[in-house]
Amino acid sequence: MARRLTLWRWIVLGLAALYFLVPLGASVIFTVDVPGQGVTFDAYTKILSTDGFLTSLLLSLELAVATIAVVLLLMVPAMVALRLGAPRLRPVVEVVCSLPLVVPPIAFVAGIATVLKWGPEYLSRTPLFETFVVIQDDSFPVVLVLAYVVMALPFVYRALDAGLRAIDVRTLVEAARSCGASWPQALVRAVLPNLRGALLNAAFLTLALVLGEFTVASLLGFRPFAVWIYDVGGSQAQMSVAVSVLSLLVTWALLLALAGAGGRNRTASSRG
Amino acid sequence: MTTALSRVDVAPVASAKRRRRAPGWLAVLPLLVFTAVAFGLPAVAILDGAFTAKDATTGATSYTGANMTASLQGPYLTALLGSVKLSAISAALGALIGLPLAQAVVSSRSRWLREAVLTASGVLANFGGVPLAFAFVATLGNAGVLTVHLGLKDSGWDLYSFWGLVLVYLYFLIPLMVLTITPALDGLRSQWREAALNNGATGVQYWRHVALPVLAPSLLGGLVLLFGSAFAAYATAAAMVGSAVPLVTLQIADALSGNVLVGQENVALALSLDMVLVAGLVMAVYLPLQRRSARWLDA
Amino acid sequence: MTHMTATLPETLEKAATVEFRGLRREFGTTVALDGLDLTVRPGEFLALLGPSGCGKTTALRMLAGFEHPDSGAVLVDGEDVTHVPAHRRDAGMVFQSYSLFPHLNAVDNVAFGLRMRKVRTAQRRARAAELLELVGLGDKGERYPHQLSGGQQQRIALARALALRPRVLLLDEPLSALDAKVRLTLREEIRRLQQELGITTLFVTHDQEEALSVADRVAVMRAGRLEQCAEPAELYGRPATAFVAEFVGTMSRIPGELTDGTVQVLGQRLPADGEVPDGAVDVLVRPEAVRVHPDEQGSARLVATAFLGAVVRATVRLADGTEVKADLPAHEATGLGAGTAVGVSLPERPVLVSERIQK
Repeated sequence: MARRLTLWRWIVLGLAALYFLVPLGASVIFTVDVPGQGVTFDAYTKILSTDGFLTSLLLSLELAVATIAVVLLLMVPAMVALRLGAPRLRPVVEVVCSLPLVVPPIAFVAGIATVLKWGPEYLSRTPLFETFVVIQDDSFPVVLVLAYVVMALPFVYRALDAGLRAIDVRTLVEAARSCGASWPQALVRAVLPNLRGALLNAAFLTLALVLGEFTVASLLGFRPFAVWIYDVGGSQAQMSVAVSVLSLLVTWALLLALAGAGGRNRTASSRG
Repeated sequence: MTTALSRVDVAPVASAKRRRRAPGWLAVLPLLVFTAVAFGLPAVAILDGAFTAKDATTGATSYTGANMTASLQGPYLTALLGSVKLSAISAALGALIGLPLAQAVVSSRSRWLREAVLTASGVLANFGGVPLAFAFVATLGNAGVLTVHLGLKDSGWDLYSFWGLVLVYLYFLIPLMVLTITPALDGLRSQWREAALNNGATGVQYWRHVALPVLAPSLLGGLVLLFGSAFAAYATAAAMVGSAVPLVTLQIADALSGNVLVGQENVALALSLDMVLVAGLVMAVYLPLQRRSARWLDA
Repeated sequence: MTHMTATLPETLEKAATVEFRGLRREFGTTVALDGLDLTVRPGEFLALLGPSGCGKTTALRMLAGFEHPDSGAVLVDGEDVTHVPAHRRDAGMVFQSYSLFPHLNAVDNVAFGLRMRKVRTAQRRARAAELLELVGLGDKGERYPHQLSGGQQQRIALARALALRPRVLLLDEPLSALDAKVRLTLREEIRRLQQELGITTLFVTHDQEEALSVADRVAVMRAGRLEQCAEPAELYGRPATAFVAEFVGTMSRIPGELTDGTVQVLGQRLPADGEVPDGAVDVLVRPEAVRVHPDEQGSARLVATAFLGAVVRATVRLADGTEVKADLPAHEATGLGAGTAVGVSLPERPVLVSERIQK
């Protein structure tokens, strides 16, 4: 009976490994074994020099950093405050942070596009119009940061909530205060260090979301990394697959680094 | 000395009462204002746009149910149903395959295997969108490595089809199921199994009468989560099939970018509202299930 | 296998004998059971007592069929059940905690085994209701486990263990997750039920007070072996080994000199029990056997006193630094403060000696 169980387990694991590894392996073969050219590593060596690679990757990274900064600045004080002084707001925040789950990215971007059109239609004579232009600047589209922060809220909420559940914020703050720390000092010196894992986790989930996000950016006409891969795919199939494989490996490395840094409890972010 | 002490004792209590309330509200306020603008405005735009029509000649807008009606007719309805069918089938398969996989990992006592599978699932569940589509195109597309080497083309294989999409979606749905169901499987206590055996149940009876009923809320919850995830997916489908398979996300994108007909933006918004309603329904099922499962498994 | 009789409580026609024969079990490098031999008499309430890791739970789980011995055998009424799978053993078990099925209410939990045996719904619900009545929870049948207190959950687990009329009842530290007060009442109730049903019962515990207060006999285990199996009074009064003496009740060690079966201790010469070579030994004494009286010339000093109700437990430091516990009647202890010079003596009775332990 024990042997039958082991056999069953290995069959299941073996089939799963096959399904998940074959596309990766095949992708690598696809990129190096080009019909008519034999084995070549052009797809990888040419990535850096290809038009738009660096600019789109940099744009994605900038967007990611900005999104992480904004979402943490908004969420951390709010979540800590919920534990300390405003427990009655808790359901409100929970609902607010879950709502983006109900609005798929494609629907969300449809709404955003409509709002952006209000600019030229109704506000062209007001100073608000300037704002609308600025947030749609091609070199750094702030509107994407706004959208990504909203899309990251559910995951960041869950990561921070799990982290805060594990520590007694009130006692920590009171202990720090009774040792003479001011409110900001208590937060920075006593609470945040204990939330390190949760903060890293939240940051990783947000990073993965922004780097892979396609829907919102492409429909609003911007060109961060995922949109660039898509565009390249039309003309240079090998290279687009090579970049896809690399992006997976980079995510993998990041997640392993995060696991090493003590983070747990990953959940899926949305895929655009 | 004594006065200094008593002041230290008393002062923080009084000031804490005054001060604690203010930061509480103040710290949550930016979040609420932000979401009201960045999420609230688009949400209002969807609602408003879904129910308004703009007269092309006069520019006047009026409220109407025509967009919603249109979004539930003809090709739009086909796309909506197509999305529901694709999501339901992929989610069911993902759950059916993810459960035994998670059980295989949990029941093996190897920490190494467990860590490896969970980490891999964490990555793969996030590995959606364009890169995933391209990896499968390279593998099973018309010029894909397997298609060419195994001669799949002759046997009628087509990645750019409904079942092709299901195969690709499973690539992130199965890991998502593994991540969702593993904590529930960990929560199955060994005492339950032993108590069942002690009461004369066989291994099969244990699964049928104890394990599966206890897991049911988590399983359903996972199923619903997978459905929502597949339902909302756009990039993978867009990069793979273009419009070969009718999906509501593709329809919205087409209508928004004016690919098909100009002036369909409001129908896109109506379709978006349809999606929100379906997703909302999904969450309404998911949350109570999640709560019940937590009550059973974390006692 | 199930005979449905309408009335409860009923006594079994014949209670079972349980025998462990030379049980041995290793987990990796640790030896859980190292040749355990033990016989439980029909209808007996036997407690398996010992520190954690002594193998008592492993022995119990072997009887339930959850563990299998590397060698040796488990017999019920002379029949070898070592290789009978767990679901066909005739032994009801109560687990430490959280063993109720969370998706079933109390009635369905109790009726679970009957459902596995395809007993009709009405019949099994009636039987479950009777059992719930028996454990005093007749009104809680519709409650789910998370709506019940820890003590109530364990009562239902007990009812479930009895539902199939097992020949043996196994209790695996069923009280250890409960708070002190519930623990007391529930253990008395388990005892009452056991006596009413006359069912052979094995009760695993690491709490010596619990074992002594409910069991007919107590088997003390250590490192996978049986140290002593005896009635509570004998175990307490005449422990067979130093380990039993110190594990059961409070025991102080006083240095003494053993010669020719008598021991020189505290200025007295007393007959000695225990197989120890002559020379320096420790004399093992219970607090109630130690007498303490104020004595200006005494070389011992009272260190601390703790009020325990009828008695006061005094800690006395002897001239050589040894600390001895002594129970004094509360009225004698008045006026004895810390630091008082006292004299210490033992009654003229045989004392248990063991090898000297250097402290």
